[in-house]
Parts: sequence; structure tokens; C-alpha cells
Amino acid sequence: MKKLKLTDIAANENTPLTELNIDELIPLPPPYDRAGDLPGFRQLTEDQRQRLVCNLDGVVSYAGLPKPENEAEKKKYIEQFLGGLKKLLDKENNWTFLQPLILSLDYCAQCQTCNDACPVYLASGRNDLYRPTYRSEIFRRLIDKYGKTGGKLRARLTGKDIRLNWATITRLYELSYRCNLCRRCAQACPMGVDNALITRELRKLFSQELGWAPKELHEKGTVLQLEVGSPTGLNPRVAIDNLEFLDEEFSEATGIDVKTVWDKQGADVLLIHSAGDIISFPESPISFTILCNAAGINWTLSSEIGGYDGVNYGLFYDDVQLARVAIRHAEIARKLGVKKIVMGECGHQHKAFITVADRVLTGDLNIPRESVMTFLENLVFSGKIEFDPSKNDFPVTLHDPCNVVRNLGIVEPQRRILRYLCPQFREMTPSGVDNYCCGGGGGLSVMSDVNFTDWKVNVSGRMKFKQVLEAFADVPGPEVNKYVCAPCLNCKLQFRDIFEHYGAKERSGIICGGLAELIVNAMVDIKTPFIKWFDD
Amino acid sequence: MFWHGFIIGSIVVFILILAYRIIRIASLPVHLRWELAPIPHERDRSKYGGSYLEVYEWWQKPRKKSLTAVIKYMAVEILLLRAIWKHNRALWPLSLTFHAGIYLVILAILLSIIHALVSIGGATSELLLDIAWIIAITGYVLGGLGVVGLILKRISNEGLRPFSSFTTYFNLFFLGAVFLTGYMSWMKAENLAADMSLIIKQTLTLDNAINISYPLSLHIGLSLVFLIYLPMTNMIHFIAKYFTYHEIRWDDEPQDAKMTVKILGLMKQPVGWASSHIKTEEKKNWADTSSGHEKT
Repeated sequence: MKKLKLTDIAANENTPLTELNIDELIPLPPPYDRAGDLPGFRQLTEDQRQRLVCNLDGVVSYAGLPKPENEAEKKKYIEQFLGGLKKLLDKENNWTFLQPLILSLDYCAQCQTCNDACPVYLASGRNDLYRPTYRSEIFRRLIDKYGKTGGKLRARLTGKDIRLNWATITRLYELSYRCNLCRRCAQACPMGVDNALITRELRKLFSQELGWAPKELHEKGTVLQLEVGSPTGLNPRVAIDNLEFLDEEFSEATGIDVKTVWDKQGADVLLIHSAGDIISFPESPISFTILCNAAGINWTLSSEIGGYDGVNYGLFYDDVQLARVAIRHAEIARKLGVKKIVMGECGHQHKAFITVADRVLTGDLNIPRESVMTFLENLVFSGKIEFDPSKNDFPVTLHDPCNVVRNLGIVEPQRRILRYLCPQFREMTPSGVDNYCCGGGGGLSVMSDVNFTDWKVNVSGRMKFKQVLEAFADVPGPEVNKYVCAPCLNCKLQFRDIFEHYGAKERSGIICGGLAELIVNAMVDIKTPFIKWFDD
Repeated sequence: MFWHGFIIGSIVVFILILAYRIIRIASLPVHLRWELAPIPHERDRSKYGGSYLEVYEWWQKPRKKSLTAVIKYMAVEILLLRAIWKHNRALWPLSLTFHAGIYLVILAILLSIIHALVSIGGATSELLLDIAWIIAITGYVLGGLGVVGLILKRISNEGLRPFSSFTTYFNLFFLGAVFLTGYMSWMKAENLAADMSLIIKQTLTLDNAINISYPLSLHIGLSLVFLIYLPMTNMIHFIAKYFTYHEIRWDDEPQDAKMTVKILGLMKQPVGWASSHIKTEEKKNWADTSSGHEKT
């Protein structure tokens, strides 16, 4: 594997810094240990290499990155980058994260303690490009050089000179989307330096100043959510139609009356799912309908634009979009006059809405917000629903969504439910706040441009897939059905991609689903199994 | 009066620059919440990284916080370098040796100061000086070994080398010179702590009889220059760490009335970002920009 220097970032603008080789990644347990048996990376075609900006690692996450035709155009983008860099250090433009950013930039001791905490770096076989410190240190040196008085001279004198050119900014852009923002590195840092935050600020600079952001997060993400209602493209009418159809279908399948409640004024609870669940994992929102109705909860969904989709991709790349989505959600809750808002099974919704946006929602927008984990725990142990844990007598492991567990410290409620309802529950190693990201964190799970999915399933998701296989090492074969409980839509999407890529359903009998489905599956009143295995 | 001016002046400059940098960090605007588990002040839950958000309808329940747990956590982190032990075991012995050297030298100086103050009152304590004398040499030796070890580690380790700049090595060599000259002074002096205590006393009483011979003069001179240099570098991470831990990682306070006032003030500030989804012809503030959606 080629060793990289920090100054390489500015060299040879059309040549990738590194080429990924599957044989150099960390090995997976059998039967996934022979690289030859697995689908490899989709290599870029010659046409793609000519057409797209492809100078990092042979992977392209955003085909929309401009390709300047002349030096003047390149210079324009570099000037914009510099403008954004200065705004990041400005109290007006970046009050939102200025203190954490400055501390993380100014006080890194360069001890590299964070490196081995990063699942991407580890999974890559310790490729220098994916060190959490590689992009951070380059960005730090650029800020020192261009954002501080006397920076250019100091950079030259101290040997910290990084050239700022087209190669540097495009590689930094791509590299900012090779991080899951899982903050495992921050947890390991003795100084409290947060490389994930630096990465997010870098993404923010590109989005807020140059207008560069993955289309799945921006154009088809937050923009679509605010204009149409959801990044899935579901407008309010279609969302209602979809759930009405699902209500009917599941009423028939379960034999109980499934009826989703919409726009109930003065309800106790406004539940905001991820709309992606309606399309990709419909049994998840239906489970909530069944559970809330069975427990007699006074609840509702909202059909306002944005009100039925709790995702907030702004968290991953853009403060303005983050605030707009959060405020939209709070305004909807205020209009309905609900007593509290309950997050759906969505990690970044938890973090964005419960804590990060807590300092954006003022006055009557600051409505109490609760995690789905405590909500479900209260519901399960309320005694209002009868359960039969023997209905869940199959191996179950729990994936900890980083944004719920490491970032919010919500660790035990979901475990208490699983220990009660799943006789064969087992932990992954490590777990809880030390967990590994699914590999789809930081918005990566919904990004699929060009050949990016190949990178997600092979590199960023590799540690998690390895963990899952190890958790089920006592029952490795496909003859035993196994369930990965991932109470987060983005994590489920990433698991779905990983399992499809490796054929994990067929070869190991593993499926992935949410927490609410397991609870419903254990309900005495549900006569036929609610969880559908692939052979059903 | 050269030494009086040099010693007092260096300390004053150190304090002023340090205070300036602390004020600069502390006066930065309130940021959005960005906490990270585990948070030690969470009584009953910090052991596994849990938080108050694990409580059903947490906003209606009293919070249980533990200051003792925070102090204990930070003591282990500062004195035994918990994070490096846990996540970078190969670096830990060198880093601990290095930091232990610094801590012990500071302790020896503090004991010398105490003795100087006592002796101004006419008393003296041989025991105190002997303890300081032993601590000082232990500090110089450990610090020196730590410096050598860290320099060698940075040169030889493929992961550390690309990130180690001229400044990194300069700082280590500078500290190494302080430890080395301290060791040389200790070797030459009958009791270095007694000499130090006398110099401190003479400085505090503005005694003109102050006379510092080589190599102690070199050691004190280098140490004072280092003291002036220190707050201008990232070696004041001992200060920054307070903010990164207490003000960011462990800042899990929900919004209260005082915070609301601050936020409303910040939201009145103009937004100057240039992307089409933010920029408007009429410059808006954060409150207006966040509440509406501008077409892209």
C-alpha cells in the first residue's frame, strides 16, 4: 500500500492518490474470507474517468462536482473555498460551531491516538488516506496558512506548507465523504479534539459557500424535504395513501385493526417516522401504529409538508438546512398542540432534533422531545400489552446507532426490551457507546452516486459486517434465521446494502429490521409471525 | 536587578498571554449542543455511558449529577493519561514518563516556593527541601527520558512521522533542554531545591544579593523563556482540555432562560454564506434564514 504524505493532496490533480485493493482490506470471517468469491469494486470506466472529478481513491460520491475547463475557473473555485474558510472562523457566520472547531483545530497534539478508533481506517487495512487525522491536518494547515495573520510565512518556516489548488479542494471534498461522522475518534482523543466535527465543518464550507453537496443529501434531501415533504419524494397525499394501503394490508395479515392516526389536534404524542421506512421497511411504521393503538396512547402523525419525515440531513453537511428542517418539525408540533414529539427509529433525527437543534428552537418551539427507545420501553413495561417472548426465540443482536448511543447516551432502554423479549439476544463486541458505525453514518447510507455503494459495503461497512458475523459465530449457517436489530433507518439501509452485496441472507440467514417489529412479533394478540423471513 | 526583572517579567507575560488566550476561547459564542458519551457527571449511568435522555419524559424528572465523578475522571485522565492508555498503549509509557517529569518539576518548584515563603517568616525546613530535591531530580530524569523517547518514537513511527512538524520537534527539544540543564544544575548544586528556594525568596523580597551561577543560570533562563513561549503554543492543551471536555463533550444542559437570551442574540446576526440556497438579495439574519426556505 502506497504511503501518503500530507503534501500529496495537492499533487497530480487528475491521478487518484490511492487505488483500493480488496486484498488489502481486513479479512472477513468465513464464508466471506475469500476475496475471489465476492463481488469486487466497480472500477470507473474510461469515460467516467474523463468526465468526472476522480482524483482521490477511484471512487466518486458526487458526479455533480464541476470540472473546470480552464485555470480561471479553477481559480474562481479556489477563491470561493478561501472565502468559505474565513467564514468558518467568523463569529457571525459560524457561531453554531465556532468554539468546537477552533479548539479541535488548535489543540491537536498529533499523537494519532484516534487512528485505531476509526472503523474506516481499520477496515481499509490502515490506508493513510483514511486516517481521521489526514484530512483534518491538511485542513488545519490550510486554515493556519490562509485564515490567520502571518500564516503563509509561518507555514514556510515550520514546514507545514500545503498548496491550495484544484486538486486540494476537490480531494478534500471527496475525502470529507469518506468519514461516517461517528465520533469514535473524538471519544478516543485525550485532548477532546473532534476530527468528525472538522470533517463536518469542511462539508459545511463546501455546501454553504460553493454549493457542493451530495445530491442525495441536498438537492434530493433537505431541499426536497422542505419543498415536497420528504427526501423520498413522498408528498403529503402520497404519504397518507401509502400508509392507508399499508393499514389495510397489515389489518388483513395480522387480523387486528390497524389504523394510523393523522393530524389529531391536541394529541399527547406527535410521532415523526423516517418516511424512508414507509417505502423500504413498511413493517416499521405499522408496528408503531399497532403498539400505540394497543397501549391506548393518544398519538398522531402529521401530514404537513416535512411533518411525516423526521430525517434531517442538514446535520451531516449544512447548518442552515439543519435549522430549517428542525424548525419546520417544531412548528408542525406547535400547530398540532401536542404535548411531546417522539422520534422515530432514526439515529440522526434523534441527535439533530433532541440535542443539536435544542439551541435553535426557542420559545414555544421548544416542545419536549423524546427518544423512541424510552417511549417503547415505557410502552413494553406498562403492562398494557401482553407479550410472549418465546415468539422471538431466534438469535438477535443489536446494532447501536452512533447518533442515539455514542452521541446521546441512550444505551439501556432498548437493551432492557431485547433482554425481556428476545431469549437469544446477544451483544456485539464492542457495543454500547464503544460500538462501530454501520458504515452508513454521516449520510453515507443514502448516497449511491457512481460507484460509491461499492466503497460503503466494502470499506466503511466492513467492520460492522465482521462484528455481525462474529456475534452469530455459534450459528453461522443459513439454516438458522438471525435478526440484526438496527433501530435506525439509515443503519437499516446500510445493512440492506451490505447484506445484498455479500449475499448474507442466503449464505448466513441474516436479516435486518427495527426494534418495534420485534416487539410486535412478541405480542400475544398477533397470531401469525409478524417478522417475515426471506423464505416466508 | 536583572534577575528580578527577568523572573517577575516572565511570569507576568506568561499570565497575561495565558489569560488572553483563555478569554478568547471563553468568549466565543455559545455553540449548538455536541455532547459525546460517556459523560461522567451522569450519576448511576456514566459507567456504561448512559445519559438522562434514557429516562422516560426526562424533562419532568430531576437530574442526578455527580461532581465527584467528574473530578475523579479528570484526575485519572490528567495524572495517568487514561485516553492514551485505553487507545494508544504503545505511546502511553513514553507519554506518561514525559508528563510525569513535567508534573514533578512543577511540584518541586511549588515546594521551593512554599519553603521560600516560610523562610521569609524566618523558619526553615530541611525535610521540605530534601523532598523537593528528590522530586526535582526524578522530574528532570523522567522528563528528559520522555523527551528522548518521544523524539525517537516520532522519527521512527510511520504513523507519527508525517504529522510531526518542525514545531513539534522544536517544542520537544526546548523542553529537553530545560530538563537537561535542570539535571546539570542538580548535579552541580549541593541541594538544588535549597538554591531555588533562596532565589525565589530573594526575588520576592527584591534582595539585591541574588546571584545565580552557571549552569543554574542557564536552566532558569531557559525555563523562563519557555514560560513565555508556552502560552503562544498548542502546549496549553491543559487549558483547552477544560473547554473541549466541559464545554463541549460534557455540555448536555438543555436550553434554559439564560441560554435562550444568548441564542436569540446570535440568531439576529447576519448570514453571509454565498451558496444559492442561503444567499438572498436582501441580507437576512439567522432567524429569518432558518425559518423560511429559500428556493435553490
